[in-house]
Amino acid sequence: MGRRAGAGRPGTLVGMSEPQVVTVRGLRKAYGTRVVVDDLDLDVPAGDIVGLIGANGAGKTTTVECIQGLRKPDSGRLSVLGLDPVTQAARLRPLVGSQLQESALPDRLRVAEAVELFRTPRARDGGELLERFGLTARRRSAFASLSGGERQRLFLVLALLNRPRLVILDELTQGLDPAARRDVWAAVRQLNDEGATVLLVTHEMDEAEALCGRVVVMRAGHVIDAGAPADLTERHASTAVIRFSLADPPAGLLDEVGRLDGVRDVTRSGARITVRGHRRIIAYTGAALVRWDAVPADLSVWQPSLEDALLGLLSEQPAGGDRAIAERAGTADGELVGGRR
Amino acid sequence: MSAVGRLVRAELRLMTRDPLVLTFVFAFPVVTMLIIGGAFGTQPDPAFENINPSHWYVASYLTVVIAATGLVMLPVHLASYRERGVLRRFAAAGFPRWSFAVAQLAVGLLTTAVACALLLAVATPVYGVPAVHDAWRVAVAVPLGAVAFVSLGVLLGSLLPSARSAQAVGLLLFFPSFLLGAGGPPPHVMGSVVRQVAGPLPLTLLTNAVRAPWLGLGPATGSLIGVAVLAVAATALAARRAAL
Repeated sequence: MGRRAGAGRPGTLVGMSEPQVVTVRGLRKAYGTRVVVDDLDLDVPAGDIVGLIGANGAGKTTTVECIQGLRKPDSGRLSVLGLDPVTQAARLRPLVGSQLQESALPDRLRVAEAVELFRTPRARDGGELLERFGLTARRRSAFASLSGGERQRLFLVLALLNRPRLVILDELTQGLDPAARRDVWAAVRQLNDEGATVLLVTHEMDEAEALCGRVVVMRAGHVIDAGAPADLTERHASTAVIRFSLADPPAGLLDEVGRLDGVRDVTRSGARITVRGHRRIIAYTGAALVRWDAVPADLSVWQPSLEDALLGLLSEQPAGGDRAIAERAGTADGELVGGRR
Repeated sequence: MSAVGRLVRAELRLMTRDPLVLTFVFAFPVVTMLIIGGAFGTQPDPAFENINPSHWYVASYLTVVIAATGLVMLPVHLASYRERGVLRRFAAAGFPRWSFAVAQLAVGLLTTAVACALLLAVATPVYGVPAVHDAWRVAVAVPLGAVAFVSLGVLLGSLLPSARSAQAVGLLLFFPSFLLGAGGPPPHVMGSVVRQVAGPLPLTLLTNAVRAPWLGLGPATGSLIGVAVLAVAATALAARRAAL
């Protein structure tokens, strides 16, 4: 699991000398009249895995391109590894490993040739990296003949090749199958354990939850919230839904469940019982069922994820995330038998 | 090995695997020289300034190789790289700012040199290679022209939005230039309007600057200066546009 925000890396040079690997203040970037990033502040602490998440067009890729020195901001101050990405791009770029969205290699370039082309004197063993990402058998294959997943893995190999101090991964696991995604996540964690700071741009909330100690949510060029995934989930999607079946519930059980701290409503339709409320009702309801010696065999729990929190944040409506989890868990049906709605 | 060295090596490797380069830069000039060079016989002809027509075309076709490299091969190659994000990847990986432009210049010049050698090797047993009257001027004009057209190619590739558009524009520039300024009829048989249009074209200037001193038809200093100006301007603009 990625380190939590601000945890740093005690004892490492990176962590001690540079508390912030990336500092962005007041970044603005427009393409013509369309403002893509507006007054954006961002911090990436040394040794963290920070996720940049948001809907399409939120300005995530433009932000990381400015951080890499690939685009010149219209205004704002940026410091990356202590360097200015605009005026010191030549010094900065070799220190940053990038896995870019929508980029390619020459069609006829072979895998081993790509490693050779991108390696610098400080590079790690390319053969070992190819082995780690399952590309050894494809060493002599042309880039054009690689599958989408193989291309992504090759980009990751190239991003990690020269022992970067900051790794920027834009849509890291796009096109990868579930097993390959897990392998790539493990590689990112290992990289982070070795001391690299990671800035991850992703649409995949499970990826952000699995890897990031801190996520920054962008909408329309602005940061609208930031924090640990669990904190964001708590803030923007705290509803949980519990379902179970009891053909003949003990008298008083449903009354008690309805009075539990955090329970919003209890509905019943035949044997099917649904309890909604704050996430803490999961523990309270379970405890009550055990206490009443009425343990159902089919109890299921829907609890909000970071994706639900993001839906809530992006919906621009109060409790949007709770609505999202309610929709995911199904509509409440049956007779209201308890709760504080 | 330096970043430029690694890029040059990779690009040379890729070039040998690219059918467009192999056919258009290596095969097209050789095949058309063999056809056109044989079409007008080998007797000195007033239309060719009393030169053997086959020798006239052998002396003209080095510049066809140069134009094919600059107007067709490089624009398509570069535009394709830019369109597909290859250049962004090079930039993000920390390749020095000028490394890609320098590598393209080196690869373009090397391609031109090899294709020119191939052309002369094929011409030698078929039509013979005419004696070079003013070797110094030819030796200056050919590399200067190669630098001018390779830079022009890099510039076009950096300006055109896609590989398809680069191919369309490149061919549109190449064929009229080829017919009016190098591989087509000699200027003396052209109508005055066509001759006036052909005169200032970059490929006409370059062909004059190579062919005239080669065949003893004059120093063609004006054409050489025109090519030199084009080389300086195109190189400056290309380096600026192709910086990573």
